[in-house]
Amino acid sequence: MVHALEEIHRTLIPEGLLLDLRPLANRWPVEVVTGRKTHRLGRLTDLPKGLADDMAANTAIVESEQSGWFVKEMEDIFYIYLYWDTPEELLVQMTERWNDFVKLEDETFELIQAAWKNDSGRKRLRIKMKMLLTRLRKRE
Amino acid sequence: MPIQKDPEGIETLHLHKHADITSQRVLEVGCGDGRLTWRYAGIVARAIGIDPDMDALCNALRCCPSSLREIISFVRADSLHLPFSKESFDRTILAWSL
Repeated sequence: MVHALEEIHRTLIPEGLLLDLRPLANRWPVEVVTGRKTHRLGRLTDLPKGLADDMAANTAIVESEQSGWFVKEMEDIFYIYLYWDTPEELLVQMTERWNDFVKLEDETFELIQAAWKNDSGRKRLRIKMKMLLTRLRKRE
Repeated sequence: MPIQKDPEGIETLHLHKHADITSQRVLEVGCGDGRLTWRYAGIVARAIGIDPDMDALCNALRCCPSSLREIISFVRADSLHLPFSKESFDRTILAWSL
């Protein structure tokens, strides 16, 4: 990670900006949205690799400052939503893409399925994801 | 539809809030299928998205809006070896890739 930041430093103009945008592990809530109603059904479980990745990225940023490549100007925390049309699609995402980082517990998935059957009309599943945006400025 | 990431555009809103990218030369590291790229590229001078995943880049190329084709390029590369000369960019976005 630090080597990537060194490369980015090389290719930026003096005073150029690096914007580090990434999700943060935070036991992301899982919700069913029906019309204007939102039902929170549980949270994903953060796995050790996801937590370790966050820590490694934070450490790399600190090292890039200590190396004199960048100065951190600000950090912003905010939340975004990721949507799926069915519980099965969410499950595929969990098992095929995110299985190293987060886990959808069986009991949470059962709650999702039950809510899905009970709610009529157009509905979607979503995860509320915590995001970090860090702005760093290149030093000379 | 398998997944919709941030259809509300909250991520882009925060990006614009904290960094002026208007008329800038932007490198996006970890552009994937261009999901984020489309959202800001309309106002930059030039955007280059890099990603090591060829399938994702093919999707990005296929889905690139025609109005942005002269502004955006996609390159298969990883962040450890950026195939660009010194001081080529005004802004770099690490898009979920650090």
